[in-house]
Amino acid sequence: MPTFKYFILFFIFLFLFSVSSCKKEDVIYDINQLQSSSYNANKNKLKSVGQYISIVYANLFQKALSSNELVEITRCIESIGDKQVAHEIVLSNFMNRQDVIIPSDSMMRADLDLFLEETYKRFFVRNITEAEREFFLNFLNSNPHVSCEMVYMSFALSNEYQFY
Amino acid sequence: MKRRSFLKKSSLATAAISVPFILPSGRLFAASGMRMSDHVVLVAFAGGVRQQESILQRYLDDSQSYPSAGNILYNLFDGSPPTDKIVYGTKNIIDGDTPIPKILSQSLESQGTTFREINASAVGHYAGVNAMLTGNYMYTQGLRNKPMMPTIFEYLRRHQGEKATKTWFIGNGIGNSIPLLDYSTHAEYGASYGANFLAPIITFGSDGEKHLKNAKVYHPEDELDPMYKMKYFLDNVWYSQGKALPNIGNTEEEKAEIKSFVKDMFDKTAAGTIAHPPVSDNGDLRTIGYACEVMKRFKPTLTVVYLSNVDGCHSNFTSYLESLHRADHGVGHIWDYIQNNIPAMANNTTMMVVPEHGRNLDSNNIVDGNAFTGYDHSDANSRRIFSSIIGPGIDSNLSIGNQNNTVGDIVNLTPTIAEILGCKTDVVNSGLLASNKSLFDLI
Repeated sequence: MPTFKYFILFFIFLFLFSVSSCKKEDVIYDINQLQSSSYNANKNKLKSVGQYISIVYANLFQKALSSNELVEITRCIESIGDKQVAHEIVLSNFMNRQDVIIPSDSMMRADLDLFLEETYKRFFVRNITEAEREFFLNFLNSNPHVSCEMVYMSFALSNEYQFY
Repeated sequence: MKRRSFLKKSSLATAAISVPFILPSGRLFAASGMRMSDHVVLVAFAGGVRQQESILQRYLDDSQSYPSAGNILYNLFDGSPPTDKIVYGTKNIIDGDTPIPKILSQSLESQGTTFREINASAVGHYAGVNAMLTGNYMYTQGLRNKPMMPTIFEYLRRHQGEKATKTWFIGNGIGNSIPLLDYSTHAEYGASYGANFLAPIITFGSDGEKHLKNAKVYHPEDELDPMYKMKYFLDNVWYSQGKALPNIGNTEEEKAEIKSFVKDMFDKTAAGTIAHPPVSDNGDLRTIGYACEVMKRFKPTLTVVYLSNVDGCHSNFTSYLESLHRADHGVGHIWDYIQNNIPAMANNTTMMVVPEHGRNLDSNNIVDGNAFTGYDHSDANSRRIFSSIIGPGIDSNLSIGNQNNTVGDIVNLTPTIAEILGCKTDVVNSGLLASNKSLFDLI
């Protein structure tokens, strides 16, 4: 019996030793954590014509596109081979409507930083990078006639907006 | 050291001499052959056309067991029209009782070369037009996929350095995967050598009236220029992620011209001044009207016009005869319009007319209002088609092959177009064609 008792004690000791010996502290180098993948790398699916039109319509009019109109606009886009030309015509047609909801130019100019941040979130569903902010601030400040509509058109026609 | 310097300099000089100048289009050196004409118009007389009612001029004789034969395609072929049971014209007293007057004083048959019996091989609409435009049989790809082999548009743009607006594919709709035929997925060709596709009866039809007509016209310098600058910045940022969109490569000027064309077409449609044929009461004929406008505006090197109203033959033989007669009327109008209204293309254009496949020998059981039975496309008779070619350097009044002697295959069309436009050697050297022979090689 004493032999059995020592045997049990030996196994308890071995178990405690193996558990306690595996602990290792994570090394912390006191630097900021950075995401190794790019900021928009998760957008890897191309929107279908229907998806693109539905999303851009909801974006510009803050309401859903009717199914009839979705079919009609999709047919229009499919009827023109150069999709950028087709999108441009459809979008400029949207911009010609009275009920399109876009900020006024004065509101845009009042706080360009805020406008850019909101535009990036509105169209690209991500934060603006500092390089992008730098470009747009310079561009908009040096081109005072550029309107909010023109900025929205460039975002809606951009390649990134074609992906999700 | 001197030897090393000599070798370096001489190798650089050799490289400079031997590396050819590469055009933006990817074309090396000059075109490989002489052109027969500077423009080609290929009319895909498509939708499935039986030899019996077209080139064989049997009218109702071989299809409805009614003894009335005759030629209902008298712009294409010589031959007297039928005199009994006329159902294919316009309405005077009853539907179809008045044949549409002939446009051309001389038929295309008498002015050009006719291949009377060609093998269509494929008997589906998409497969047929695919074979026509790629010079390949569509054995290993799906119906709703882009061609796997390069189209003639891509060969032309890559090897002849043509701009995007010099190649047009004009369809009478967006069904049957037709819009997919503007370029292939082939790694060495693809979107950047694609054609401009247009389905005008949709673009300028009720859908387009509602969603395209009121497009804002932005000022090119004050509005479009900054808009594009912002877009290109966004695209450059996005491009760093490696995801590109297919782009057929219209330049900014070409895009502006297309948008201007679209706007002008809406104005002309509203004013009723589109270059439609004298009779334009179906989709094929309206498509032909807009195709004429495209040719007048852009003077394309290659224009492919896809017609398909005859496909109604599955369930309505009468409408099939009407559509056949109208397609002939449309072809006559195209040739007449080019010769008389587009000076840059007159006497410098070759036109080819060819169905993508035929139709069955025996009818199905679907009966129309005239008690005529319909025809599908699945048997050996569906593989019988014809081709008419007219233009500079094409023999007139020449007839090749007959019912008992098939000469040519639908895959010979791509090398034929390449030969006319002076790039057959380049196209053949691609090694991607099912046949290296043009129809001219078979004469």
